[in-house]
Amino acid sequence: MSHDKNRHVIPGEVITTGSYRSEQNTFTKGDKIISTVIGLSDVRDGSVRVIPLTGGYVPKDDDLVIGKVVSHSAMSWQVNINSCYEGMLPASDIFGRDFSSHSDDLTSKLDNGDLIAARIVNADKTRDPLLTISGRELGKIDSGELMYISPSKVPRLIGKRGSMIQMIEGATNANVTIGQNGLLVIACDDSNGLIKAINAVELIEEQAHVANLTDKVNEMLESKSE
Amino acid sequence: MGGRDTDIVLLDENGIRSDGRKVNETRKVTIKAGVLKNANGSAYIEFGDNKILVGVYGPRDVHPKHMSDTSTGILRCRYHMAPFSVGERKNPAPSRREIEISKVIKEALEPAVMLKGFPRTAVDVYMEVLQADGGTRCAALTGASVALADAGIPMRDLVAGCAAGKAADTVILDVNNEEDQAGQADLPIGYMPNLEKITLLQLDGVLTPEEYKACLEIGIDGCKQVYEIQKKALQEKYFSTGDDKNG
Amino acid sequence: MASSIIIDSLKKAHILELLADGKRLDGRSLEQPRELSIDVGVIPKAEGSARARLGDTEVVAGVKVQPERPFPDTGDQGMLICTAEILPIAHPTAETGPPTPDVVELARVTDRGIRESKMLDMKQLVLEKDKSVIGIFCDNAVTDHDGNLFDVCSYATTAALNSCKLPKYEMQDDLPVKIENETTDPPITTLPVSVTMARIGDYILVDPNMDEWSCLDARITITTNSDGNVVALQKGGHEGFTSDQLIKCAEISVQVGSKIREIIKEATKGSN
Repeated sequence: MSHDKNRHVIPGEVITTGSYRSEQNTFTKGDKIISTVIGLSDVRDGSVRVIPLTGGYVPKDDDLVIGKVVSHSAMSWQVNINSCYEGMLPASDIFGRDFSSHSDDLTSKLDNGDLIAARIVNADKTRDPLLTISGRELGKIDSGELMYISPSKVPRLIGKRGSMIQMIEGATNANVTIGQNGLLVIACDDSNGLIKAINAVELIEEQAHVANLTDKVNEMLESKSE
Repeated sequence: MGGRDTDIVLLDENGIRSDGRKVNETRKVTIKAGVLKNANGSAYIEFGDNKILVGVYGPRDVHPKHMSDTSTGILRCRYHMAPFSVGERKNPAPSRREIEISKVIKEALEPAVMLKGFPRTAVDVYMEVLQADGGTRCAALTGASVALADAGIPMRDLVAGCAAGKAADTVILDVNNEEDQAGQADLPIGYMPNLEKITLLQLDGVLTPEEYKACLEIGIDGCKQVYEIQKKALQEKYFSTGDDKNG
Repeated sequence: MASSIIIDSLKKAHILELLADGKRLDGRSLEQPRELSIDVGVIPKAEGSARARLGDTEVVAGVKVQPERPFPDTGDQGMLICTAEILPIAHPTAETGPPTPDVVELARVTDRGIRESKMLDMKQLVLEKDKSVIGIFCDNAVTDHDGNLFDVCSYATTAALNSCKLPKYEMQDDLPVKIENETTDPPITTLPVSVTMARIGDYILVDPNMDEWSCLDARITITTNSDGNVVALQKGGHEGFTSDQLIKCAEISVQVGSKIREIIKEATKGSN
């Protein structure tokens, strides 16, 4: 069985057999390592995992995410982070430790529909993930173009050590904030640059799995805008 | 079910059935994955003249909260027939038959889906029968597996559905509506092909122990054929270069 | 249902900005509906059917025909009932269970549009006066929801009814018996078409999609018939309209409606 190349797999398909460590999106049955999702198998260093081509975002500690405020209680905001769990942003994160639900009005800072760039503080699944917006590049998002891509394509959009997204920002003068949860905001003063950046993101999402993607994106960015 | 007088010839002297098939032939099955814009995963399946649309949402929040499980995600299934899907218009309110089939399909999918990683959430599977022609529960189950995979729900295996049965004293594969009405037995099966487990099994009719074994054998073979179509549907959507759409 | 969909602040701001320039987020002009495609006969076993797609909103309508006992006070007319259901596959907020007020409104507005226009000549659907008449059901199932269900249900229903085939029945011993392999065309008198418009600020937008629906102040659905007459009206939303705006809306609905009528005619050509 050839297992040194990445292979397309669907749930239930055997990726390989033998003594391998079963990692993300796989399980073992006897000596078979089996995929649990649609994706690309990745066998290396004695372990097997599958890179999924579909599926939602699963919150992880320290991830940067973009969320939309959908409601609030007396002490916190509930934030839609495009995941099976809703994020929770405590009021004290903005108002400070002396926050008092009597004198401090939550909607004065964040109201329903507001977008925020936040970091996940604690993604323990027994409770809703805890968020914070105190930090560099975090906080309410007032302007820009919001886009959604499949969370599984985010790594491709960022590129190795940020190479892909930096290439796009350089060519368009845009500033892109990418959430690990598949939401991103493109801020650009130049409307042509904005359109180019949007097209680049759409191209990457469509062809994330295709081989010479970097060249294609480069070509697209360098072509004259119509 | 079964035994109604009819002047349809269920099986002629050449072993050909009323719709032209041989005894071990399934009807034509086509599946397309990812057909709905809003659902997280979806599939449209035509199984003979059955036309079924399946949508999956989840994992997502459970309402009311008391229905959620703190140790695992839960699976919820709804099998529903459109009023125009059957010969005599059906009232849109869920019938007892639909409620039972919803439960049976849920229990056929549960051994496949892996929801321990999503505590306090639910995965909702909605199967809408737009046109019915016998064997809808197997077709709905088949479509549901594809929709779940399309949604990225981790699964141990897909579940494929196909019914075996008996008409004119002969064991047949994939019973259509005419054969269901006038035949002698209908045995729907749901099967996980890689794990080799049967997760849905029902029977309407009378079978001798030999006929039962023969039905199981021919039915499992039918499920394996259906599985190839499920695979093809997912490969077409995700693995063909150039026309990929996103899940 | 629409109230539980919270639109994000950037998008809402964009929508309002663009409106000032007479533009919309998806590039349409204010009076332009989304692209409409209609396929009839998609459910071959039903007596009639149509799938209508307006942008990303999709509805499947199926027509079922069966003999019925007439209502006591209308023994000289057939029966027509149109319904609508938002299937749970259509949207994350769509619920199962008894219909919510939004869904009931959708069903009743769809039914009224067809009934009040007198699209079918009910007097021609009698098998035996006061005893047996033809009952026609048109059930709409919304399979994908991106706003403006009123119009898509209207188009799917009109197309399904316009292309359906009625079985023929003969009375035997006071009971209607279907004559196999014989059908007849439905008695169509007109083709009703609804056009829904949203008011956002001072702007009137035709065929609001889900995003626009979530920020509208008021909406109106106007159904016109083939003669360009208004046959049904339904106003919704939390705010009001001026009478000038409503007059303008009626004019728009006749214009836009007639173009949509042509699309429906083209799609149902060859059916009768």
